[in-house]
Amino acid sequence: MSAVDPQDKNPKIEQAGASDESIQQVHSILLREKPEPEENHSPMPLFLLGFISAMVLMVAIYFVHNSGGLSQSFSFKQAAMVYDERFDPKNAPSAGAEVKIDPLALGKKNYASVCAACHQPNGLGVPGVYPPLAKSEWVTGSEERIIRILLHGLQGPIKVEGKEYNSAMPAIGPGGYNFSDERIAAVLTYIRQEWGNSAPAVTKEKVTEIRTKAAAGRTTAWTSAELDAIP
Amino acid sequence: MASVPNLAASFDPATSPDLVKRAELSEIDASTKVPALFFLGSAVLWLLVGTAFALISSFKLHTPNYFGDIEWLTFGRTRTAHLNAVIYGWSVNAAFAVAFWLMARLSRSVLRHSGLLMIAGAFWNIGVTIGIIGILTGDSTSIEWLEMPPYATPLLFVAYALIGAWALITFRFGKSGHIYVSQWYLLAALFWFPWLYSIAQIMLILEPARGTVQALVNWWFAHNVLGLWFTPIGLAAVYYFLPKVLGKPIHSYYLSILGFWSLALFYNWAGVHHLIGGPVPAWVLSAGIAASFMMAIPVIVTGINHHMTMVGSFSALKYSPTLRFIVFGAVSYTITSLIGSLMADRQVNEVVHFTHFTVAHAHQGMYAFFTMVMFGSIYYILPRILLKEWPSAMLISVHFWTVAVGITVYVVGLSIGGIKQGLEMNNADIPFLSTTAASVVTNTIPYLLSRSLSGVLMTIGHMAFAVNISWMLLRPRAPQATTPTLFQNPPEMEVAR
Repeated sequence: MSAVDPQDKNPKIEQAGASDESIQQVHSILLREKPEPEENHSPMPLFLLGFISAMVLMVAIYFVHNSGGLSQSFSFKQAAMVYDERFDPKNAPSAGAEVKIDPLALGKKNYASVCAACHQPNGLGVPGVYPPLAKSEWVTGSEERIIRILLHGLQGPIKVEGKEYNSAMPAIGPGGYNFSDERIAAVLTYIRQEWGNSAPAVTKEKVTEIRTKAAAGRTTAWTSAELDAIP
Repeated sequence: MASVPNLAASFDPATSPDLVKRAELSEIDASTKVPALFFLGSAVLWLLVGTAFALISSFKLHTPNYFGDIEWLTFGRTRTAHLNAVIYGWSVNAAFAVAFWLMARLSRSVLRHSGLLMIAGAFWNIGVTIGIIGILTGDSTSIEWLEMPPYATPLLFVAYALIGAWALITFRFGKSGHIYVSQWYLLAALFWFPWLYSIAQIMLILEPARGTVQALVNWWFAHNVLGLWFTPIGLAAVYYFLPKVLGKPIHSYYLSILGFWSLALFYNWAGVHHLIGGPVPAWVLSAGIAASFMMAIPVIVTGINHHMTMVGSFSALKYSPTLRFIVFGAVSYTITSLIGSLMADRQVNEVVHFTHFTVAHAHQGMYAFFTMVMFGSIYYILPRILLKEWPSAMLISVHFWTVAVGITVYVVGLSIGGIKQGLEMNNADIPFLSTTAASVVTNTIPYLLSRSLSGVLMTIGHMAFAVNISWMLLRPRAPQATTPTLFQNPPEMEVAR
């Protein structure tokens, strides 16, 4: 068969029916191969059932013992913070679970990070510029007013401990530093009980109530005159 | 003149009488010829390129000054270039060729619009070339397995989309009523790969996820490329060529099903075990480890199925090159996967993580299993699409023995060296690096030398393979009926290669 034989280059289905010996020769590679593969249906060996069951059991036990506390009472979100697979929330109730936070400690930390820049770590402020918090009648007085100041800020002249001040305080709540109600309550509790102050603690619930009800929708800072109207 | 069935029977008494089916196969083979040759040719060229980078990288580890002054050939670039050349160049090109040759045959459908495949092939290879040049010039993304710079990857994606769509068309137009196990694996792999690749590109390159999630996505991708792309293609080839060469059916359809679905179920979880010890939630790691253990099920099931098919026919290994490569690959698959499951265990991982043991394991998977299976497949496919015999049985023999011995030395040497290295790293009394006393790093040098030696052996094998292929392409087609090129002639002509 010559190399230019068109049938050679393009074997067609009909060629199989042809009895031309040369075609058979070219297709000797194809003709000698075994039939296309098929499958028997031999049953699975019984030991496989035992093997698979044993694997499932062992791996399930392994996972339960190394799940890093993941369980019905310990959610995926909580377990996402656990890097030790042997951790068990039952034996370590404080880790990962709801932790009781000391408002004074939380307040001190947040005061240091934001408020102390103006009011100073000692709560005395800067004379003539930033009013003091220590012994301030605003701080230890009505919680209604001081909560509003933190939530939305304060602007314009204000009289503290008999001295006039005229600066602006930014909002610590929504639109400003975006402190949560819990953090605002903690900061307030801290400044009301530090530096010799001894006013009652402010609760998170009270802050939430003022933010969502009494002063709902407010976006601008308060003035001293407005606050005077509030008990 | 003899009738057709008699003639057929005179070549091989075991030949089935249904010549129509065979004529159909011949037509299908002919339709795959041009694209299959293109992909296989590219694959072999990339294999040689990848081998060169492998040798350079390997020498550098025990002789750091080797090519030390050339920026393009620093270790960080040659090792990465090696990985990308052998993965995206050699392995994926070979996988494409084998996948669509198998798919066309098993679907009993000729290849339609093979021009599309050629465009895809051109895009793919241009993309890989640009990507590797980018890596060498320093544009690597430094994300493992996705090092190619972002200007190369869209080309790869377009190429892949064409190939994937084409394979589905071939399957859709297929005439086969029964879907053979190889086709499940091929179809699944063709779905899984674009899923993995696109998610990884989006979550790591285009819109990178933050923090730990990035590492999770990276290893989810890198491990799944092995398990949900190369493994299914390799297994599809084993499932086809074992029964094909032996002329026996696969042992059990039920085992095939169980093996396939358990792989599909468990593998996707397993990649996380690369992050053991990292700041990943403990339950995520434990789930990954559990899935890695469960991978023993598909591996053992598939191993039993292959072994029971082989039982009684082991003598055929003496004759058939295809069978020898395929069986080597199938056995390696079982071994490497079981070792992989063990490596996921936290206690074992503590020792072998970040050592050469992992490198040995990766090569056992990608080379001793996948690459050997691809070699075997090519030895079967090329004579059918070229209608020529392999020119030299001696070169095939050289190829087999150099790469078989080479990869064995490689895996055994680096595994032992890796365990030793891991134990030493966990021992605070041994310094990590010291030029005066014995240290962790200097103690690995003998094993690194054994790796270079095995690398040279494998290089010789690849050269023999490339020479044999070129010779085969260039020699004229024999005018008369030919006999297969086997390692030795069987007593009767019962082994079809």
